[in-house]
Amino acid sequence: MSERRVIDNALGESALTSTGWKGFDYDPVAMMPDTRVIKVGGQSVMDRGRAALFPILDELVAVKDKYKLLLCCGGGTRARHIYAMASDLELPTGVLAALGGYVPRQNARMLQMLLAKHGGLFIMHDDFEKLPLYFRLGCIPIMTGMPPFGYWEKPTAGGRIPAHRTDAGVFLTAEVLGVKRALFIKDEDGLFTDDPKKNPSAQHIPRISAKELIARNLDDMVLERVVIEYLGRARFCHELQIVNGLKRGMVTRALEGEDVGTIIYKD
Amino acid sequence: MSKLVADDGRTHIQSQLMRESLVDRKVIARTDSEGEFEIMPNVVLIGIGGQSIFDRGKGALLPLVAEISALKGKHKMMIGVGGGTRVRHTVSIALDLGVPTGGVAQLVGAMEEANAVFLNALLAKHRSIVMQREHFWELPLYIENGMLPIVISIPPYHFWEPPPEDGPLPAHGSDFGLFILAEVLGMSRVVFVKDEDGLYDKDPKKHADAKLIKRTTLDALLADMPEELILDRQLFKTWKVARHVKRVQIVNGLVRGELTRALAGEDAGTVIDRDGGT
Repeated sequence: MSERRVIDNALGESALTSTGWKGFDYDPVAMMPDTRVIKVGGQSVMDRGRAALFPILDELVAVKDKYKLLLCCGGGTRARHIYAMASDLELPTGVLAALGGYVPRQNARMLQMLLAKHGGLFIMHDDFEKLPLYFRLGCIPIMTGMPPFGYWEKPTAGGRIPAHRTDAGVFLTAEVLGVKRALFIKDEDGLFTDDPKKNPSAQHIPRISAKELIARNLDDMVLERVVIEYLGRARFCHELQIVNGLKRGMVTRALEGEDVGTIIYKD
Repeated sequence: MSKLVADDGRTHIQSQLMRESLVDRKVIARTDSEGEFEIMPNVVLIGIGGQSIFDRGKGALLPLVAEISALKGKHKMMIGVGGGTRVRHTVSIALDLGVPTGGVAQLVGAMEEANAVFLNALLAKHRSIVMQREHFWELPLYIENGMLPIVISIPPYHFWEPPPEDGPLPAHGSDFGLFILAEVLGMSRVVFVKDEDGLYDKDPKKHADAKLIKRTTLDALLADMPEELILDRQLFKTWKVARHVKRVQIVNGLVRGELTRALAGEDAGTVIDRDGGT
């Protein structure tokens, strides 16, 4: 029988499912660590329209020559409508993920139109390797927050909503770029002991570790669960900052490195 | 007619999930139900090993191609291929260079795509076609018109590959990619064609006393997972929460007729069932 014709290499004989990597002294390179990866919330910001969004854009435009801004959009109420319809039709999670992807792309296109005169560029996942060019040109690249998993998204235990949505995409973007802190612009000051929209006496949590947050086993959370799980084993992105975009100046202060809002950190 | 609601500064569309946190477990549970729509249930997905079959060249590949072309017409099939030794070479160079995990995931698909094109050249006269991802919804067109789609096996996680639980290698490889594709399309069976008689308790290429596991269940396998595994670990983890795939089979592609027997529903190679046992 014909032999395997293999290229001699350190992993040559190993199944990629096994621990062949253990012989490597792996020291990953941070690709673009000074990028600011920023999520603009869907339901929390975009669905509020001009009143919420324009002041945030003013803040971003004011610092656009100081920082490399990469904007990623959330979905919001139209994504919720899609997920509700698709769940009613009993479609698989992968289809929900693919369909849910349309909404943050629309939001990214809207942001592009608003920021065009300041160099706003709508980019697709396939344009990711051109980020250095966009920054060199002084542009503000804008993309969907959704990771490109689409139909290949895993089934969700106990439901149909895809586990990897726009928070996950923003975190994973920061991680692969080698960025230490990802910024999430929402409509609350960050994490609370309870939902501040329903319980006015909920306490604000300025800083919490991923481990502690997982240990609290909250029924609801400020970011997608997988993000907190991944944070614990991330190599680069070790902090998630959530700020209230409805309060003037918070986005700017966060970009200047101030610990406003809530910081969730890797232990 | 959908209603718009704008009483809290946000404009909502009325739906079951309106205003809700999609992270809330109770909200997620509301989207659950017993059944799930089967998109293309009567198709079998066949995964052909890269290192195990492709890298052996003509001697292994041409007889398998002949077997597949004879099966066409009897079964609705979709084929995926692995990348083989060039993937391992890519990964070993990339790890040495310090390419981040997501970067490694972005790179490896090229070698699998090259093998898909190889296979397409060999099967073209039997109406094969390489499915590009953006042509996802042409799959039914191909299948229902007697064509043989060859899909890219690596899932499109690319730069966005999640941080692995252990080590730097991307966890979502080509076996997982084919499995998840079968699952989302509502298929019940996946057959992997490799160069061993099936799944062993350890790597039979390294251990003469390795034992073939002819029949097992997903639960039994998860409870006692072999250290050296012929398929991606992530496949089995995901299978636990999957709804459609009922059987994963591993057959020896170097032995003629094994794939044919598997597609006929026979117990060729290793049969892993989701249900029953333990």
